[in-house]
Amino acid sequence: MRRVEKILVVASPVGVFVLWEILAYLGWIDVRILPPPSSVAITMVVMFGEEGLLDHTAATLFRFFIGMAVGVVPGVLIGLTMGIFRWFRAFTNPLVALFYPIPRIALFPLVLILVGINETSNVIMIALGPFFTMLISAMYSVLNIDRIYRDVAENFETGPRHLYTMVTLPAAMPTLMGGLRISVGLGLLGTVAVEFLVGESGLGHVIWNSWQVLSLQRSMAGLVVSAIVGFAVYLSMDLLERYLVPWQKKTAPV
Amino acid sequence: MPPESDDPAVTSGGRSDPAVGIRICGLNKSFDGPEGELVALAEIDLGVREGEFLCIVGPSGCGKTTLLRILAGLEPQFGGSVDFTVDTDGKPLQSMVFQEQGVFPWLTVLENAAYGLTVRHVPKDRCRAQARDYLRKLGLSAFEAAYPSQLSGGMRQRVNLARAFVNDPAVLLMDEPLGALDEQTKMLVQTDLLRLWEGSNKTVLFITHSLDEAIVLGDRVAVMSNRPGRIKTILDIDLPRPRDALELRNNERFLHLRRQVWDSLREEVVSLESDENRAPVAAGAAP
Repeated sequence: MRRVEKILVVASPVGVFVLWEILAYLGWIDVRILPPPSSVAITMVVMFGEEGLLDHTAATLFRFFIGMAVGVVPGVLIGLTMGIFRWFRAFTNPLVALFYPIPRIALFPLVLILVGINETSNVIMIALGPFFTMLISAMYSVLNIDRIYRDVAENFETGPRHLYTMVTLPAAMPTLMGGLRISVGLGLLGTVAVEFLVGESGLGHVIWNSWQVLSLQRSMAGLVVSAIVGFAVYLSMDLLERYLVPWQKKTAPV
Repeated sequence: MPPESDDPAVTSGGRSDPAVGIRICGLNKSFDGPEGELVALAEIDLGVREGEFLCIVGPSGCGKTTLLRILAGLEPQFGGSVDFTVDTDGKPLQSMVFQEQGVFPWLTVLENAAYGLTVRHVPKDRCRAQARDYLRKLGLSAFEAAYPSQLSGGMRQRVNLARAFVNDPAVLLMDEPLGALDEQTKMLVQTDLLRLWEGSNKTVLFITHSLDEAIVLGDRVAVMSNRPGRIKTILDIDLPRPRDALELRNNERFLHLRRQVWDSLREEVVSLESDENRAPVAAGAAP
């Protein structure tokens, strides 16, 4: 049964590519609009060799990781604090409610004016999505901790440091990991969006620029590379989860 | 309202008993429920003797757990008084053994067992040594690096017991710790618990809904009335120790005591049933 599952996991993406290739070969889809995988792959190899696609990929990854760090770390810290201290929650919750629902991309012009057209404003834009996501999931991860764990901690007269490291943080960790998975998606989205708008480098720039000169194969190649990047980042979340939440039963989607 | 009990056999905490370890006087507690104030406990008077194993049984919803939570310091608001006069000898006063899900899933068996000592800043080596000692007594040595999710329910509950015993308090408060276990496992863990307790000088308050369990474990069994909870009667369990949870159930004296406890509990259960169903229920036979 598990072997069958493993085959199915590989079969579904491969099947899509094979179908796409066959339909293009048969002429059922317009290859000018949707170039077949084989020709995209060739273009990709050429671009890695001659057009610095690797540098663009590195630029995207760099922005992404910096943006994630700038968003996730303060988001988690502020969110946990909001979950733990009632007064802090009362104080900050209205601000979150005010800023969270604003479409973040709409803040870009404001950020550009305040910070300038530079890498810092890019990083801020990328960080916003993960920041709010982690803040909210961290807050609820604390608020939803089963009461029995608080009771145990209280009954054993747990001091603040041990309460934080041995109860609150580990109890919150599974929910935080869920938030991190969503944040990763938002971070990648933000990175590519920023590169569309102001980038002179990065996969978003490649995709958008190639589209503007109607080089769809190049655009598609950029898309495929960013998909691979996203896939790799998502898989690395499994490794991170195994490390940070070792007590949970293995939940490997792939 | 449930029938009042003026049974003179009710042992009240007011009696001057030199060996009283916990004196509970006029304890009452109410909650704000959706339909107004809900009186959970009304005028509980109870003297727990130092070093005894006292079991409390009562119909569901009678406030047994609330009583224990008050003693554990988890319900700061209540009326009446609770005095721990037990001699702690430098040990922690009390630790609670929670229901099965109270074991921390993110700590290993060893870390769970050592938790009480760790948060009291006992040096790590001593934490581990003392935790390992109890894990060995409970047959968990091979599992000290495992997480609770990898254990069976009975083993998880032994970890829960270990955590409280390793903390070495003067009083152990147990809130139906074996309620979720199947009957066979329950008897095995009961035997383990008796083995740990006998000769430990610890005062135990043990809440259960199982008459058998109360009689197998307890020196005395306190029967609580239907809500609002009162101590209805207290029975002495004069079965010799050390006891064997598996053997005891065929003992004639055990069966006699069981009948006595049931007779006391039955009218409470019946009145609870008729309260809930708003219909008269025929007096039930012993289960």
